[in-house]
Amino acid sequence: MILGIFRKKSSAQVAKNRLMMTLAYERASTKIENLKELRQELIEVVKKYVKVKDIAIKSNTNQDIETLEVEIILGEGG
Amino acid sequence: MGKIVTITSGKGGVGKSTTTANLATGLALMGKQVIAIDFDIGLRNLDMLLGLENRIVYDVVDVMEGRCNLSQAIIKDKRSRGLHFLPASQTKDKSVLDKDKVEKLLGSLKEKFDYILIDSPAGIESGFEHAIYLADTALIVTTPDVSAVRDADRVIGIIDAKSKKAQQGQEVEKFVIINRVKPQLVERGDMLSVDDILQILALPLIGLLPDDEEIIRATNLGEPVILNPKSKVGEAFKNIARRLEGEEVPFKELEEKEGFFSRLKRLFK
Repeated sequence: MILGIFRKKSSAQVAKNRLMMTLAYERASTKIENLKELRQELIEVVKKYVKVKDIAIKSNTNQDIETLEVEIILGEGG
Repeated sequence: MGKIVTITSGKGGVGKSTTTANLATGLALMGKQVIAIDFDIGLRNLDMLLGLENRIVYDVVDVMEGRCNLSQAIIKDKRSRGLHFLPASQTKDKSVLDKDKVEKLLGSLKEKFDYILIDSPAGIESGFEHAIYLADTALIVTTPDVSAVRDADRVIGIIDAKSKKAQQGQEVEKFVIINRVKPQLVERGDMLSVDDILQILALPLIGLLPDDEEIIRATNLGEPVILNPKSKVGEAFKNIARRLEGEEVPFKELEEKEGFFSRLKRLFK
């Protein structure tokens, strides 16, 4: 629709995006009960080899495959 | 052997008890022997939706504690043949349910009935865990808003972790029921669509319930809306019952009979 160009993103689309973001994190925490500890220990291990700023853990369900993404943030680029 | 179907949700007030009452009635109308059990201990509700609140003598806790026998506590519905009801107790002590006693009760009900429908309490406390522990099938009710969908997702995760079937490496059959859908809002982009919700929850759909004021009336009267042959949402409940029975029923619940405005709109598309 032409009107769509002038309209802001639909509120349903915003709701969907917010939900997907939130759930990605929450799913990980229901599956793994001590996610916090896992994260802490991972940081300790990786720290031995590189400087770590933070570790983010996300779980994702994609059709039949469930994955756990571990993102190691090494610090600002450059 | 009967099938245990638990009707559940994360958030309260999304229509679990209404769904339980109508599905139980619908399955009974299809000739099944059905019992609906209210597991919301302390907050009895299903009795009013079924219009059976005046006939309660004993409740589910009385049976489990041996204060009466099963047949004394089961209420037979006079309107719908085959429909039975076991009320929740009004005790404030929510911890009265005991895993072994629940298992024993549901085991004996499985021998007598084709369907045991459990109306689960909202939330993820012990009452909820009892309600889903022995489920063969779980129906997760949600409305198209962010909080209900988010809580539904959490509940799905817990069913996968805490049910007996899951613990034995089997899978509990899970389906989504989306309640209070307003097609006009979806079309305007101001309500999560059915596809959005299914994509987020990653479960198959079994019921689509349009928002319908007829439900409020039916609740006031204590007559499940499914008994009203003219009601659209009653029809939608019948479809869920048929799908539970394995029938393939196309999802046409939200299709409006085309009115003047939608025809006009189509002309301009």
